[in-house]
Amino acid sequence: MAENLVVYTVVHQPRRLKLPAQIVPAKTPPEAISDHLFDEALDRRYFEQVAANSYLPASAMFTDLTRRGWKMSIGFSDSFLVQAERWGTKVLDRFKKLCASPNVEVVNVEPYHSWLLYLDIVAFKEAMLAARSRLEELFQKPVAVTDTTEMFMSNDVYFALQQCGFDGAFMEGRDWHLGWREPTHVYQHPLQRLKLLVRHHNLSDDVGYRFSNRHWNHWPLEAGTYAGWVRETWGDLVMVGWDFETFGEHHRRDTGIFEFTRALAKELKKKKVRMMLPSEAVGELGAKRLEVPVNEYGSTWAGEGGMEFFLGNEAQQGLFRLMHHAYSKARLTGDPRLIEIAKWLLQSDNLHLIQWFGRWGPEAEVSAYFTPDEWWELGALGILREQQRVYINFIRALDEYAK
Amino acid sequence: MIVEPQRTVFVILSFEGPDVYSQAGGLGVRVKGLARSLAQFGYQTYLYFCGDPDLPGEESHEAGRLVYRRWCQWISSRHRGGVYDGEEEKIRDWNASLPQNLIDTVIGPAVESGHNVVIMGEEWHTSWSMNLISDSLYYRGLRDRVVILWNANNTFGFHRMDWAALALAATITTVSRYMKFKVWERGHNPIVIPNGIPRESVHDGDPEAVADLKAAAAADHFCFKIGRFDPDKRWLMAVSAAGYIKRHGKRVRLLLRGGREPHGGEVISHAQHQGLNVVHVSAPPEPAGLSAILRQYPEADVVNLTSYVSDPMLGVIYPACDAVLANSGHEPFGLVGLEVMAAGGLAVTGATGEDYADAYRNALVLETDDAIELVTALNLIQQRPRLAAAMRRRGRVTARAYTWEKVIEQLLLRIEFAAAQQAVTIPARAPDEPRVARRRTRKPEASVG
Repeated sequence: MAENLVVYTVVHQPRRLKLPAQIVPAKTPPEAISDHLFDEALDRRYFEQVAANSYLPASAMFTDLTRRGWKMSIGFSDSFLVQAERWGTKVLDRFKKLCASPNVEVVNVEPYHSWLLYLDIVAFKEAMLAARSRLEELFQKPVAVTDTTEMFMSNDVYFALQQCGFDGAFMEGRDWHLGWREPTHVYQHPLQRLKLLVRHHNLSDDVGYRFSNRHWNHWPLEAGTYAGWVRETWGDLVMVGWDFETFGEHHRRDTGIFEFTRALAKELKKKKVRMMLPSEAVGELGAKRLEVPVNEYGSTWAGEGGMEFFLGNEAQQGLFRLMHHAYSKARLTGDPRLIEIAKWLLQSDNLHLIQWFGRWGPEAEVSAYFTPDEWWELGALGILREQQRVYINFIRALDEYAK
Repeated sequence: MIVEPQRTVFVILSFEGPDVYSQAGGLGVRVKGLARSLAQFGYQTYLYFCGDPDLPGEESHEAGRLVYRRWCQWISSRHRGGVYDGEEEKIRDWNASLPQNLIDTVIGPAVESGHNVVIMGEEWHTSWSMNLISDSLYYRGLRDRVVILWNANNTFGFHRMDWAALALAATITTVSRYMKFKVWERGHNPIVIPNGIPRESVHDGDPEAVADLKAAAAADHFCFKIGRFDPDKRWLMAVSAAGYIKRHGKRVRLLLRGGREPHGGEVISHAQHQGLNVVHVSAPPEPAGLSAILRQYPEADVVNLTSYVSDPMLGVIYPACDAVLANSGHEPFGLVGLEVMAAGGLAVTGATGEDYADAYRNALVLETDDAIELVTALNLIQQRPRLAAAMRRRGRVTARAYTWEKVIEQLLLRIEFAAAQQAVTIPARAPDEPRVARRRTRKPEASVG
C-alpha cells in the first residue's frame, strides 16, 4: 500500500490574445508588435481575480501547513511570473515566502507554457535551461525536477530533459499508456537516468476536477476518505498533480476546498502517509530502476491523456498550423524579439481554449470554462476566426523583417 | 535456433507451482512436471511461482538444474488461503518486481555466457509480465536471444488481457484444439502443445489393494469423480446418473473428492434429493482405510471424501473403479482423464479439450450433459467387459504418448518455430566450446589465367 504522497501544483496564467484581432500597422517596430497581439488588460483582470480567490489565500494556507509538516512542490510558468511581477508583487512575495520553506520544492516548467517542444526541440531545451536559471535565482533554491507544458512527455522530450541534466520529470499516468504498469512507482525509460514521477490520474482528478461536483457519488469528499484512498492504493507512492488555482479559483472557497486541504494534512498523518518532495521520491524510490518505455506520441494530463485535447478538432489543427508558420517566419527574420513573440504565440492555452469546438461533454465544459467570458460576445465561430486572424496578422507583419 | 541443453535456459512463470500452497488446479501439476522433466533432460530450468510463504525463497533440485523461485511471499504471508488469495496484489507485485530480477539474474548472465533463453508464461496472471519482459529485453538489445511463449491453460481472465500487446511480445500457445478455438475467438491463433504427465504415473497400482477396494465397494457400478466443485465439471450430471441407476434397482457406489467451492453444497443436496445416501469422511492415508470405510457404510451410495487424496491412493482408486467420471462440460485439457488412463483406469471424459480421448477405443466420451448418456455408458462397460478391458489397455498406450518426455519433444520443435517467428538468433559459439586460436593459413595463390 502507498505509504508516500507527492503533491505537485502548477501556477500558470496564460498570455491571452487580443480579440477581436487587430491589424499590425506597417512599420511597427518589433518591440511594439506584442501590443497588437496580446490583451494585457484582460490578463490583468483575470490575474487580480485569481490572486484574490486563490493565490493569496491558498499560499497563506500552504505556508501555514508547511510549518506543520505538509510537503509540496510548485511549478511556475514564466507566463505567470511575468504577470506577477507586473501586477502582483504581493502574490509573488507570498509565493517566495512559501517556497522558502524546506518543505516546498520548486519545479521547473516550460516557461511559455507552449508547444515549442513540438516545433523545435533544441529551442525547447534552451528554454527549459533558461527557466531553471530564472526559478533558481528568483526562489534561491536548486531546481532538480521538471514539468513541461500540460505535463506533456514523449520519448524525444524525455531525452531533451535528460540532456538538460534534470534528475526527475513528471509524466501523466493513464492506463492506455502505462498498460500493465501501475502509476505508483518511480520509473525511468529503459537504461536511462532521468526518473519519472507518474501522476495518479484518478486520485488527482478526485480533488482537481470532481471535488465540487454535487452529482459525483463521492460528493462531498471528506479528507479522511481521500487520505484512506491514498493509503490503500497499491504501490510505492501516489503522485497527485493539480493546478494551483484548484484551491479557491476552480473550486471556490464556499466549496470547502480550504477546509478539506487543512483536514487532509491531519488525516494523512493519522493514516501514516508520508509526504515527500519530488526530489526525495526520485532519490529514495528511484533506486528500484523500474522501467517504462516513454511513448513516442506523447501524453499529457489534459483530456484523455493524448494530444487529442489540443489537436482533436479542425479549428485546433488549423491554429496549430498557423503556430508553425508564425514560428518559422519569425525564425526567418533572425530577430530574437520576433522569435520571442512567436514562442508566446505557441502557448498551449490557445488550443486548449477551443477544444469545445464541435465537442460536448465534460472535457468541452472544462475547455469552455477557460475561454475568457469576454470572447463569447464574438460567438463561437467568431472566436475561432479572430484567433486565427491574430496569427495571420503577425505572419504578415513580419514581411518587412524577413526580406 | 537450436534448442539443446548446452545452450538453452528455460524459465517458467506461473502463479501455481509445486507447493501445496500453490496448487489449485491442473496448472500446478503441469508446471511441476514440465519443469522437472526439462531439468532431467539437462536444461537449466527456473520456475518462478507464488510459493508457500514459509518455505525458502529459492530452492534447488535435480543437482542444481532446477531452481524454484518463490515470488510474492511477502503477500502470501498475509494471504494464507492459497495461491489465488490476494491475487490482485500478487499480480501487481509480480509485474513490478519479477521482470527486472529475471533479466538481471537469469537472462543477462545466460546470454552473456552464450545461452539462449526460453520463457514460458502460464495463464492470464503472467500475461502482462510477458510484455514487460519483452520491452526490457528489447531496450537492452537482448530480445533476439529470448524466445517468449505464453500458454493458455484455461479461459480464466481472458476478458482482462491485452491480447494485441501479448501477441506482439509472445508466441501464444494452448493445450488443446478446443482451447485453440477459444483463443481464436479473441483474434489470435495459438499453437497447440498438449499437457503431459510424469513417466512414473504410468504404472500398476498394488493389485491386492485394487482388488480389495473393488470388493469393498460391492456394487454394480463403482465410480469416482475428482476435481473442483465447479458446475463446468458436471457434478450434477454424475449424481443424477447415480440416482437413476439406484432407482432402477442397481447397486451404485460413487466416491467424490471435490474442493471447498460453494457448488459442493449444491452437489450434495442434489444427491440427497435423488434419493442417494451420502456420508462425509476424511480420506484415509491408505487404500485399506478406504476399503474399511466402504465396508463400514454399506448403505452409503455417495462417499464424499473431505480431505486431500494422495497420489498413491489415487493410483489404487483409478483402476479399482469401473469408471472415473471426468465428464466435464468445459475442459481445457482434462489432465485427470489422462492420469486415469496412466493408472490403468477407465476414464469417462467430456468432449471438449480432451484431445487424447478416442471414444470407445481408449475412453468413454460423453457428447452431451444428459445423465442418461452417462448411464448408458456405464451400462455398456458392465455388459461388455472385454470392450472395457480393451479401452483400459489402449488408454495405457495413450498415456505413454503423453509423458513429458514425448510432449517436450514436441515442445522443442514448436520452440524452433517460435524462435524463427521472433527472429531469435543463434549464439555465434556454443558456450562451453573452447576458444581455440586457429592458425592462419595462407590462401592458395590465385591462378593467373
